[in-house]
This record gives sequence, structure tokens and C-alpha cells, in this order.
Amino acid sequence: MRWNKLVQAKIRTLFNRIIITLLYEFDSLCGHVSEYILSQRLGGSCFQMTKLQAKNIVKHFDHNGNSVLALDGINLDVQEGDFLCIVGPSGCGKSTFLNIVAGLEKPDSGEILLNGKPISTPGPDRTMIFQEGALFPWLKVIDNVEFGLKMAGIPKEERRQISQRYLDMMQLTKFAESYTYQLSTGMKQRVAIARALAMDPEILLMDEPFAALDSQTRDLLLVELQLIWERTKKTIIFVTHNISESVILGNRVVVFKNRPSKIKKEIYIDYRRPRLMEDENLQKYYHQILDELKNEVIAQIKDENQ
Amino acid sequence: MNKKIISEKKSQGLHDAANAALMLAVFVGIWEVVFMLGIWSKISLPSPAMVAESFYKITLNLSLPESVGITLGRLVAAFLISISFGTLIGLAMIRFKGFGKTLNSFSAGLLSFPSIAWVPFSILLIGFNEFGIMFVVIMSSIFSVMISTYSSIRNIPSIYMDAARNMGAKGFTLFRYVTLPAATPSLIIGLRQGWSFAWHAIIGAEILMSIVGLGHILSVGRDFLDMSEVIASMITIFTIGLIVDRFLLYKLEDRIRKKWGLDHHR
Repeated sequence: MRWNKLVQAKIRTLFNRIIITLLYEFDSLCGHVSEYILSQRLGGSCFQMTKLQAKNIVKHFDHNGNSVLALDGINLDVQEGDFLCIVGPSGCGKSTFLNIVAGLEKPDSGEILLNGKPISTPGPDRTMIFQEGALFPWLKVIDNVEFGLKMAGIPKEERRQISQRYLDMMQLTKFAESYTYQLSTGMKQRVAIARALAMDPEILLMDEPFAALDSQTRDLLLVELQLIWERTKKTIIFVTHNISESVILGNRVVVFKNRPSKIKKEIYIDYRRPRLMEDENLQKYYHQILDELKNEVIAQIKDENQ
Repeated sequence: MNKKIISEKKSQGLHDAANAALMLAVFVGIWEVVFMLGIWSKISLPSPAMVAESFYKITLNLSLPESVGITLGRLVAAFLISISFGTLIGLAMIRFKGFGKTLNSFSAGLLSFPSIAWVPFSILLIGFNEFGIMFVVIMSSIFSVMISTYSSIRNIPSIYMDAARNMGAKGFTLFRYVTLPAATPSLIIGLRQGWSFAWHAIIGAEILMSIVGLGHILSVGRDFLDMSEVIASMITIFTIGLIVDRFLLYKLEDRIRKKWGLDHHR
């Protein structure tokens, strides 16, 4: 009986692996085809637009009554369809920066431009995915996904359709009527992604969304997120302290300096997708970022010991 | 499978009921033994049978059902007023931060203030009438509702508010779809506490101020040296308190907790 189950589990993992591999291939094939068609249509030119601009963002923190400089003039341009990762030592202010972009916190000076227009309040055009998912426990999964659409005043029928589509996309169709406590952490995070995508935002903000997950689930979601990005061509800003995550996900990785935060280095990663954790060719990017970060982490530890 | 769980639940319920019955039987047995030992006179401590007879008598002449009705009527009316105004003040405390903070710093004094201490004040201010009694009940439960409204909204994890604002919720919509449901589990706990304060207050106020009602029967029993009637009323008060809390408020709280999955985080 027990043996049987073990074999079943083995077969299931093997099966999953095969399906994932097939998915990769199919998706990258689709990607190539659509890229080809697009390039033909656009006459081979591939122009890019600046989606988001951060201009000289400065932010102070109140720490035990002392004012601490957290962000010391962040300048950042994000192109349309870009997948930008921000890495930095913990507590360096990268989450604060993301909150400012989301409009949840206000900068002391500087401004954020979305499509050239300054923003100051939170809005559904910049959807955030939080570390803990931040799903509402009083709503069913499908109602959670619909929440943003409901706030936007979209009629019920249409809401249902859209949210159903994104639940299907995240393979959560079966759990539409469940409450969030019935889901695993990984599933919750997939619901959060579905909820964010359902609003069709201009830009997707992700604040260490995979930090609380076990490594298998995270590996799966890292691949899923790449597929989603390729499919939807959303602009994504992804904040993490995990270097491998940033290397796998980012077209461009921005390394934040320790407090007061500045951009220390930008690294462009032009490599085929979907990228996998085990890919040897990504090692050199990994080490490049690690070298940058090492000094920062050491500096931070010194800082804390003082 | 499902049927099995249900039948298990049922047998668990039966088991609990049997235990409760056993405990009651032991209690009545000890009471009977103490009565037969004759430490106190029959007037000071009647036997269970005498109390049962008295209970039967005041039920039959309708003085007990009538009192229960009047008391519960007053209580419900006063508690509804308490809930409405308590919630409003609680919301005002959220809206006006300085006011909320100041008022909250008095909360310990307000919550622990004995309900009976309102009685003389109420008699002089309003008089020996329905409104006087209701005033005592309102004053005894309103602070609990007020403080629980304030603290349950303040203790909502900020991530829910952030997520909601991020998805475009603001103003009344934010309140209606996020603040209110997020605060509900602890609001219910506050409601239960307010109810228990109100229940304490009304019996006390009725003993001292009323010419009808459950508390009044108690004081009549005392005046006529009728201990059986006193104990019969006490048992009624106990039973009503138990029923309302267990079968109404607790059920409500339990349902909300289940829906939220709060019982699943062990």
C-alpha cells in the first residue's frame, strides 16, 4: 500500500517534469513564432517606450526618533515590457522604493512618472504582489481574484469571466470556491498573481513574492512567472534578496547599495528563456552580482555592529 | 465518510450533554446532602425540591415569564442603542486620531468601571423608570463596544489595507469591503463582552431600581424571606445567560471563525 503510494508519487513527479519541459518548448516556440510575426508587421523595427521613470527619489526613515536616510536619490528608467529585478541587502530600502512606486508611501523628494505622468496615490495601474500574498481571508478565492475588478466597477458577469480565465491560467480552477486558508502557501501566491494580472495593470510590482515558499514550489513558480511574462509582455519590477531569483527572472538586474541606498550597478542579462535554476551558463551573472553584493552585506554587518 | 464525521460529531455532542447532566446531578446531590445535614434552617437554605416547587409556582402564575420578557425587552433595546452609539464613537475615534488616542487611554478605567456604580447617578439624573434602568445598561456596555470597534479596526494588518488601496479601493468602498470584514472576528468578541456587561448591569439595576423584571423578583424574594424564589430566579438568570452566549453569540463567532479559517492555524 505504502510502496504503491511511493511509486505513484515518483511517477507523478516524473510526469510533471515531462509536462513542464513540454510546456517550455511549446511556449518558447510560440514566443519565437509571435516574435517573428511581430517583427514582420513592425517592419523589423523594435522600438521601446519608457514605461516608468523614477527621478531622484529620496526617502528618510524614522528610526527610534532619529531620521535615517533610506533612499539617497534613486534614478531609474523602466522600459515597456521590461523584467527588472532589484537586489540588495535586506533592509536596504528596496521594498520602500517599490512602495513608493506603488504610491503606498510618499517620497521626501523626487517623483515617479508612469507613461510620463507623475503619480502620487496608489492605483490599479501598478499592482503589487506582496510577500505574504495579502489575500483576504473573508473572501473565496474567486472573489479575491475579482476584488480589483469589483473596485473598478466592472459588472459581475464580466468579472467572473476574467477571473475565471486567470484562475485557469494559474491552474487554480478547482479551488475557485475555496477559502484561502484551505490553500498552501504556493497556491496562495498563485492566487495573488492571478488577482494582480486580472486587473491588467500597466506594471506589475512584486515584493519578494517567493521568499516564504519552499524551494520546490519556488522553482516551479519561477518558471511559471517567466512563461506568464512572455505571454502577457507585462512590465515587471521584482524585488528580491535572492540572487538566483534575480538572475533567472531579470532582463536587467539593479543592485542597490546598503543604506543610504543608491543604485550601485546594473547588469543586463540577455539569455534565452525560460531559464532554469540549474543552468550553468547563468553562473557568471550570479557571481557578478554576488561580488557586488558581498561588499554591501559586509558593510551592512559592520553597520549593525557599530 | 461525511456521514461518519457527522455521526461522530453527534456522539461527541451527546457525550458532552451526558457529562453536563452528570455534573448537574452531582451538584444537586451535594446540595441535598447539605440540606439534610441541617446546618442552615429551611428558610435560609431550601432543598432542591422546594426550589423546583417555587419555580413551578412563579412560572404558573406567570410572574417569572413576564419578568423574563420585560428584562430581555429592556436589555435588547438598551443593547441596540449601545451598539449603535458605541460603534459610532468607535468610528469617530478612528477618524479623529487625537480624540481616539486620548479616549483610548481612558479605556481601562471605563471598561472596569462597575455597572452598579452608575445606579445612583442614573436615579438622580433620570429617575426610577425604564429609562433610568436602560441608562445604566447602556453606560455599562457602550464603552466595551466603543473600545472594541476602535481596537479591532486599528489592529487590522496593514497589509490588507495596502493591498486594497493598491487595487483601487478607497473611501467608503474601502471601509465596506475591507475594513469591516477584516475587523469582524474581533468585533464579534467585543460584542460578546458588551453583552455580558449589559447582562450584569440590568440585573443589578433591576434589583435596585425596578418594580418589575428578573432583578425585581430577586429583591421581592429577599423582602419576603423567600429563598426558594431567590434561587429559582438565580437559576433562570444563569440559564438565560448560558443560552444567549452559547447558542447565539458563540455560534455566530464560531461560524465567522470557521469561515475565516481562524481555527485552522494551530
